[in-house]
Amino acid sequence: MAGAFKALIVTVRQVALDHVELIVEHERLRDATPGQFAHILTPGTLRRPVSFSRIDGGLGRAGLLVQVVGPGTAWIAARQVGETLDMLAPLGRGFAPPDPDRPWALVGGGVGIPPLFSAWERWGWRHRAPAHVILGARKAALVLMDADFRQQAIEPLVTTEDGSRGIMGTVVDPLRQWLSRNPDGQVMACGPNGMLARVSALTEGIAGPVQLALEQRMGCGIGACLACVVPSVPVGPDGPGYRRVCTEGPVFQREELAWSWI
Amino acid sequence: MDLTVHLPRNLILKNPIIAASGTFGFGPEYARFVDIDRLGGVSVKGISPEPWRGNPPPRVWETPSGLLNSIGLQNPGLSAFLAEDAPFLRTLDTVVIANIIGHTVEEYAAVAQALDREPAIDAFEVNISCPNIKAGGITFGHDPDAAYQVMRRVRQATDKPVMVKVSPNMAEPWTVAEAVVEAGADMISAINTVIGMAIDLKRRQPALGGVTGGLSGPAIKPIALRIVYEIARRVRVPVIGMGGIQSPEDVLEFLLAGAEAVMVGTITFQWPDRMEGIIEALPNVLARYGFQSLKEAVGAAQRPALADEEGLAP
Ligand SMILES: Cc1cc2nc3c(=O)[nH]c(=O)nc-3n(C[C@H](O)[C@H](O)[C@H](O)COP(=O)(O)OP(=O)(O)OC[C@H]3O[C@@H](n4cnc5c(N)ncnc54)[C@H](O)[C@@H]3O)c2cc1C
Ligand SMILES: Cc1cc2nc3c(=O)[nH]c(=O)nc-3n(C[C@H](O)[C@H](O)[C@H](O)COP(=O)(O)O)c2cc1C
Ligand code: FES
Repeated sequence: MAGAFKALIVTVRQVALDHVELIVEHERLRDATPGQFAHILTPGTLRRPVSFSRIDGGLGRAGLLVQVVGPGTAWIAARQVGETLDMLAPLGRGFAPPDPDRPWALVGGGVGIPPLFSAWERWGWRHRAPAHVILGARKAALVLMDADFRQQAIEPLVTTEDGSRGIMGTVVDPLRQWLSRNPDGQVMACGPNGMLARVSALTEGIAGPVQLALEQRMGCGIGACLACVVPSVPVGPDGPGYRRVCTEGPVFQREELAWSWI
Repeated sequence: MDLTVHLPRNLILKNPIIAASGTFGFGPEYARFVDIDRLGGVSVKGISPEPWRGNPPPRVWETPSGLLNSIGLQNPGLSAFLAEDAPFLRTLDTVVIANIIGHTVEEYAAVAQALDREPAIDAFEVNISCPNIKAGGITFGHDPDAAYQVMRRVRQATDKPVMVKVSPNMAEPWTVAEAVVEAGADMISAINTVIGMAIDLKRRQPALGGVTGGLSGPAIKPIALRIVYEIARRVRVPVIGMGGIQSPEDVLEFLLAGAEAVMVGTITFQWPDRMEGIIEALPNVLARYGFQSLKEAVGAAQRPALADEEGLAP
């Protein structure tokens, strides 16, 4: 029986203000896919879902890049090398591999960036068509993983809301420009719902698949409790259908979601 | 130590630990994480005749030692349950309880009638106590006469064992328990979640999409124990207790209060294998507190006063 397991923390590093990345190791992490997540035990009543920021299948190592927003994430961020994290993992439906011959945009906002980095790390090297990475943050000190992308041979375009780094504004304008040049493109995006709603609207009608990774408050994390739902198609007279982020997501195809209800 | 529990109409549990409805899906979800056949039973997610959408998200909110939920009984409906979930449930070597819900008396009866013929289902749990739906459900759960009507129709629809799940959100929950026993209920399960609410300060809104929700987890254990205790001293049928169970000691508290078996819900989200751990530890914990058998513990903390006063058998 494959229950929860304890993954050993092998590295901890502060990556930005209130952001910590832990690398954890366990053989059960070997077949983790970008976009999937770990449901992590903390002192609270519920586990906390965190996406993989990087995955080394061979070593069974995965990264967890956590922004401290409350007691659960603060507890995770305070763990030390040599301790373990109790987790259910890997969970959920990750990204489908991109078509290597189609232009590819990776669009991340805030702590939505880590799963996109793991996608780039896994599939970027074999990508033949042009690729474009757009990272959004509130301010310069909160830009995540730009150096990691650079190390993996791509220069990300950075946007900050206050203009303290890169282009002033959000990821939306650069994405719009990219889409006008690449109507046959494919898109992967993760970030706050407001950003994803814009990405969804902008990408209507493009030729390639649009994959959006969503967040929702979770109970079980494994599909049993129906807590983690997002409004989806088909929409009926009395409301939308609801799909589970933990098992039918976190990664959804754009067409699956009912944005007017989100 | 033998942990077998003998319940009415030949319903036999291997042990007194049952997965609580709504926290264990329809079974297959947890099959990867739990050896389901080791459990005493599984109560599946509430089933209605037609699919129910459920409430808008967010549907869960963590509170100190507890969990608020407003799932709203989302379920795929009876036909989908029979086509997609029943085949898996037939393969289980444990008691499967169908938790049934409806907007009307007839809807409850329709589900009971259809599942009466389904071999996967060993017993029913009539849920008249979910705080998360406005029409039906709870309106039956807070009115002994209405509860009686639901149970009477369900009794006509099936000869399988039936328990009725009682709400804690009324002053005297035992009045409903007494009414449904009179209508033919074989057992009582208690408690469903305690209605509550949280405010999301960041959004200046009720935290849950359903505005109010049901509180579960350790926070409600004292409430649950008291209601189980009060019901067990008033009805002659077995009581299945639940609410905040985390450990074998918690199980023992429910047994001593008068429950013959228990259900375990919210803790499974943290520890999917906790029910198995409890089953393993239970004989030792019973022995540690001086019990030679499971049966001996049931009702051991009951005070005789009420039975004497009202001439009820203990
Ligand atoms: C699939 C998925 C992947 C995620 N990946 C990451 C990641 O890589 N890095 C990261 O920093 N964060 C990620 N999050 C968000 C992270 O789960 C929350 O920030 C965290 O649960 C907050 O817990 P807390 O105790 O610190 O905060 P609190 O706000 O005190 O949490 C209270 C409750 O709300 C829940 N909650 C609060 N915010 C969120 C949220 N945004 N999404 C889901 N549940 C929430 C908590 O789990 C907890 O049950 C992800 C969420 C999901 C659903
Ligand atoms: C997410 C969630 C969903 C639930 N769904 C149902 C349900 O469909 N039918 C039902 O009778 N009870 C439902 N319940 C109530 C539980 O079965 C149980 O009565 C309650 O949670 C108390 O037990 P616990 O503290 O061990 O969780 C649900 C509880 C939770 C937390
Ligand atoms: S968190 Fe329980 S179904 Fe997704």
